[in-house]
Amino acid sequence: MKLSVAISALALLAAAPAGIAATVPEGTKLAANQSYTFWLLDAIKSMDPQINTDVEGSDILRNLFEGLYNEGPKGELVPGVATGFDLSDDKTVYTFHLRPEAKWSDGKPVTAQDFVYAWRRLADPKTASEYAWYMELMQVKNAAAITAGEKPVEELGVKAVDDHTLEVTIETPLPYFPQMLVHGSTFPVREDVIAKYGQDWTKPGNLVGNGAYVLSQHLLGERIEMDKAPTYWDAEHTVMTHLTALTINDKNAALTRYLAGELDRVEIPAGQYPRLKKEYPDQAISSPYSCSYTYLVNLSDKGPEALKDVRVRKALSYAINRDVIVDNVLQGGQKPAYNWTHWATAGFKMPDIDYAHWTQKERTEKAKELLAEAGYGPDHPLKLTLNYNTSDDHKKIAIAVQQFWKPLGVALTLNNMEWKVHTDKMQNQDFDLARYAWCGDYNEASTYLDFFTSYSGHNNGKFLNADYDRILKESKTAADPQPLYTEAEQILADQMPLLPIYHYAKVDMVKADIKGLPTENVMQTWYGKDLYRVAK
Amino acid sequence: MIVYILKRLAIAIPTLLLLIVLSFLLMHAAPGGPFTQERGLPPEVLANLNAKYGLDQPLWRQITSYVWGIVSAFDFGPSFVYKDRSVNDIIAQGFPVTLTYGFLSFLVAVLVGVTLGAIAAVRHNTVIDYFAVGLSIGAQVLPNFVMAPILVLVFTLALHWLPGGGWRFNDPHFWVMPVIALSTSYMASIARIMRSSMLEVLTSNHIRTARAKGLSGLRIVLRHALKPALLPVISYLGPAFVAMITGSVIVDIYFSTGGIGKAFVDSALNRDYAVMMGITILVGALTILFNLVVDIIYGWIDPKIRY
Amino acid sequence: MVIDSQKMQSLAAATAREDIAGRSLWADARRRFLRNKAALFGLLLLVFVVFFALFGNSLARWSNDEIDFAVMGQAAELGGPSLETGHYFGTDDLGRDLFARTVQGTQISLAVGIIGSAIAVVVGTLWGATAGYFGGRIDNLMMRTVDILLAIPYMFVLILLLVMYGRSITMLFAGVGLISWLEMSRIVRGQTLSLKNRDYIEAARAIGVPARTIIRRHILPNLIGVVTVFATLLVPNMILTESFISFLGLGVQEPMTSLGALISEGSGTIAYGTLWQLAFPLLFFVTTLFGFFFVGDGLRDALDPKDR
Repeated sequence: MKLSVAISALALLAAAPAGIAATVPEGTKLAANQSYTFWLLDAIKSMDPQINTDVEGSDILRNLFEGLYNEGPKGELVPGVATGFDLSDDKTVYTFHLRPEAKWSDGKPVTAQDFVYAWRRLADPKTASEYAWYMELMQVKNAAAITAGEKPVEELGVKAVDDHTLEVTIETPLPYFPQMLVHGSTFPVREDVIAKYGQDWTKPGNLVGNGAYVLSQHLLGERIEMDKAPTYWDAEHTVMTHLTALTINDKNAALTRYLAGELDRVEIPAGQYPRLKKEYPDQAISSPYSCSYTYLVNLSDKGPEALKDVRVRKALSYAINRDVIVDNVLQGGQKPAYNWTHWATAGFKMPDIDYAHWTQKERTEKAKELLAEAGYGPDHPLKLTLNYNTSDDHKKIAIAVQQFWKPLGVALTLNNMEWKVHTDKMQNQDFDLARYAWCGDYNEASTYLDFFTSYSGHNNGKFLNADYDRILKESKTAADPQPLYTEAEQILADQMPLLPIYHYAKVDMVKADIKGLPTENVMQTWYGKDLYRVAK
Repeated sequence: MIVYILKRLAIAIPTLLLLIVLSFLLMHAAPGGPFTQERGLPPEVLANLNAKYGLDQPLWRQITSYVWGIVSAFDFGPSFVYKDRSVNDIIAQGFPVTLTYGFLSFLVAVLVGVTLGAIAAVRHNTVIDYFAVGLSIGAQVLPNFVMAPILVLVFTLALHWLPGGGWRFNDPHFWVMPVIALSTSYMASIARIMRSSMLEVLTSNHIRTARAKGLSGLRIVLRHALKPALLPVISYLGPAFVAMITGSVIVDIYFSTGGIGKAFVDSALNRDYAVMMGITILVGALTILFNLVVDIIYGWIDPKIRY
Repeated sequence: MVIDSQKMQSLAAATAREDIAGRSLWADARRRFLRNKAALFGLLLLVFVVFFALFGNSLARWSNDEIDFAVMGQAAELGGPSLETGHYFGTDDLGRDLFARTVQGTQISLAVGIIGSAIAVVVGTLWGATAGYFGGRIDNLMMRTVDILLAIPYMFVLILLLVMYGRSITMLFAGVGLISWLEMSRIVRGQTLSLKNRDYIEAARAIGVPARTIIRRHILPNLIGVVTVFATLLVPNMILTESFISFLGLGVQEPMTSLGALISEGSGTIAYGTLWQLAFPLLFFVTTLFGFFFVGDGLRDALDPKDR
C-alpha cells in the first residue's frame, strides 16, 4: 500500500488541480441506477456542522456541506470552496480565495461571511458546541478566550475581506493548519436560515447547504435520503444522483442485509473477514484506518502502586500476544501495535522499538523476568482490573489478554461498563487499566502524540514527562517535526504509559460495481460526489 | 362507572409523578452525563453546555421546571444528545411506528391466539389440539431475539420476499417480520389461556344444559361459551401489553424500525435525560390507560362485576 | 410465558377452604401429581438440568474461561462439537469450551431464576399478608401502592438500574425479583382476607397473640400451596427476563456467562456456520423453561383439581 505523502502548504498550492469530482476513467460504462446506500451503526446525532461530534455524522455532513478544502482519494487536499490561499511571511495569516461559482442549495452564492459566521458560531459559548475546542486546536486567534466567555465573539481571528476572500489569523505557525480545514465543524452555514428556523433548521426542507447533495428525508435512527444538488458548483461532474443511509444497530443484521442486496457498503463483524474474502474476493476490502487501540495505564495517585513501576508496565505490554489478537480475534487486516501513532499516518517514521522485533516467546520470557524483579509472580499474584466499554470486540480482546497474563501471575478482573460510565471513570482516574482508542482528527502524527502531553485535556492516565512535553512543544515550530515525533514515540516505548495493542483497519464489504471510494486514505474520508456505479 | 373511571385516572397522577421523580433521580445519580465524551470537554465548554440545558440548576428546580413544562405547554424539552431535535420530535417520529406494529401484533396475537385456543379446546385431544398445544408451548420459550435473525435469514436472505429491516408506513412488506417477531409468544400464551378456560366452560353446567337442549356445536361455542371463556384472556391483556412494549426494544434493535423502544435504550445509554423521561412517561401513561380500558371491557363482558 | 391469574385465584380459593386444608390436601396433591405424566416429565427435565449444572463440570475437559489457542479464530472450521478435542459442545469464537460455558451459564440462569423468584415471593407474601391481615387504612395504602407500582414500566426501570449502576449479579437478582412481587401480593392479600375471619384466628387474636405470630403460625402455612405454584411458574419468567437483559448486553460480567448471554451470542453468529453456539445453550434454556413450566402447571392442577 502506498501512503499518502505529507503535504506542505506550498506543495498544495502548486499541486491543486481544478475541478475534482468523480473522475470516471475514459470508456467506463456507467450503470443506469446511480444511487448509493450505505450503513450507519447509530442514529445521526446532529446535522448541524458546528454541533456534530461523530465520525458518522461527518460522513453525512461532507455530502450536505463543503468546507474550504476536501480530501482526495489518497487523503491529499483538494480545493473545495477555496481555490487556494496566500500565507504571510510569519506563517500566521492565511488568505483564502473562495470560488465565486460556489452556491448554496437555494441558489445564493457562498461568501466569506458565511465562513466567518460559522467559525464564530463554533467558538461562541452561546452555541455550546462540544467541538468548540477544535477552533482552539486550529490555533485560531482568541478562540480559547472566546469559548471561555472572556472575549466577544467578534474578536475571533477570522475576517471577510470581501465576498470571496477569507482571512484567518492563527496564534502560532501550524504546519498542518490547511489539513484541519477538511473537518466538518469548519463548514459554512447560513446565518439567515438558522435565524429563521432555530434548532429546526437541519430538518429536510429547511436545511440549506452548499454540498453536492441536499437532504430530502431524515427519519432518526431509520434512514437518511439525499438527492443530488443541481446548484452545486461541480454538479456537472457529480455522477451519483442519490444517497441513502440506513441505520442498523446490529452489525450481523447489517451484513445479512448487505448480502440480501439492501446495502452497497457495510462493516464486516470481527472474525468474518477471511471467510467473506474467500467467498467474495472482489467485495471484502481491508484498508488502514487512522485509529489506535490501547490499554491506558493509570499513573495518577489514584492508580495502583504496582503500575508505577515501569518494569510491571513493560511486562504487561510484552506479554500481550498481539499477533493472536490481530490474526485470530479480529482477522481483518489490522496491524499489531507496539507504538501509539497509527503506522500509516502521513510522513510518520516508526521508531525502532526493541520488543517489536522479538518473538512472542522472547517477550513472554522477558515479561516474566521483569515481573519477578518487581516482586510479582504466580506465588505473589498481581491483582489488576481492566475497564472496558460494552462491545463484542472489546470483550473478546479483554478475555484474550486475561489469558495471556494468567501464566505470569497477573489476576485480571474484567469490568465491562457502559460507555458513559467508562468514560466518566477514565476521566476521574478511577481505573487500573482502561481500554481506549484514539482516532486521528487529521492525517498527521501530532493528533496522536499531543494526547500524552501533561497539558493535554485527554491524558487520562496522567503520564507526566517533561522531556516529552518539551519535544512536542518544539515540534510545533520545527521545520521538519517528524524526527521529533519519532523521539516522542521512543519515550512512550521506554515509559510504557499505555499498552499499545493494534492499529485499526477499515474492514468493509463494498459492492463490486461501486467505484470511487478511497482505499488509500488512512482517514477513510469519502464524498458521495466522487462515487459512481459501473454497469455490470 | 364514570366515578370509577375518574377514580382510576386520579391514581394516574401520583403514579406518573412517582415515575418522573424515580427515573430523574436514578438518572442523575448515575456516573457520566449527557456531555461526558471521549475527548473530555474543556471545563468552559462543559459549563456553557450545562448552562444551556439547565443542568447547572439544583435538582429540585430541574424536576419542577421539567414537570411545569409538560403541564403548561406539553413540552418535554430538547434532547440533550440529538441536538437538533426536541423530545416531542423524537416521540412524534418513533411512536407512530411502535404503535403501528404494536397494534398489529396485538391484533394478531389476540385473534390468532383466541381462535387457536378455542379450536384446540373444541377438538380436545385430537391432532389439532396437540398441534396447538405444542406450538404454543414452543413459541413461548423461544426468545424473540432468536426468532428475529432466523426470520431474516429465511425471508430476506434465502427467499428474498421481505426487506430485512427498516420501516415504511405505506408498504406492508416492512411490517411482516416485526409483527411476527413481536406477536408470536403472546399469541402462544393467549392460545394456552383460551384453551384451558374454554375447556372449563365447555364442561360447565350451562353449556351442558344448552347441549341437552339440542343446540348445534358451533352455535353453542359462539353464543354461549366464547364470552365467558374470554375473561381470563382479557385479564391477561394488561401484562401482555406491558411485555410487548419491552419486546419492541428488540424489534427496534433488530429490524431498525426507528421506534421508541430503541430510542429509550439509547437515551439511557447516552444519558439523554429528557428523551428517557419523555418515553418513560409516555409508556407509563399508556400502561395506565390500557389497564383501565381492559378493566372496562372486563366489566362489560363479565356480568358479575359492577362498578 | 404467562401465569394465568384466574387459575391462581381459583387455586388460592381451593387451598384456603377449611374442609380440605391440612394434611389430606397435600397427600391428595402428591398422588395427583404423580399421576400427571406431563408434570413427571417436567420434573425429570428439571432433575436433569440441575444435575447438569451441579456436576457437569466434572465431565468438562476445559474450564469455562480457558482459551483453546489451537481453535481460536477458526471456530467455524475447528471449533465444532467433538469428543476428540474435548469440546463436546464445540467452542465459542474465542475458542472457549462451550460445554463448560453452558454448564456455568445454566448455573447462573438457574440461580437468577430461583433467587429472583424467591425474592418476589418473599416480598409479595409479606406485603400481601400484612395488608390483608391488618385491613382498613393500612390495607388501602399498601394496595394503592401496589396499584401505582403496577403501572410503572418495570423493564425500563430495570434497564436504567443496570445501565446506571453497572452490572452485578446482586443487581440482577434484585432487579429481576422486584419486577414481579406485585401480583403475588394481590393473591396473598385476597387469601389472607378470607383466612383471617376464621374462628381459630379470631380466637387467637382474642387471647392476645401478637399479629406477627398469627401471621407466621396461621396465615403463612395456609399460603404455601399458592406460593409454591406461583414461585415455580415465576422461575421461567425470571430466566426469560435475564435473557432479555443479556441480549441488551447488560447481563453478568465476563468470563461468567448465562444461558441468555450464550443464546444471544449464538443467535448473532447464526449465519456464520457455528450453529452449535446457538443450539446447545438454547437446548438447555428450553429444557429448563419446560421443566419449571410443566412442574408448576402440574403442582397447580394437583392442588386445585377440577374434578372435585
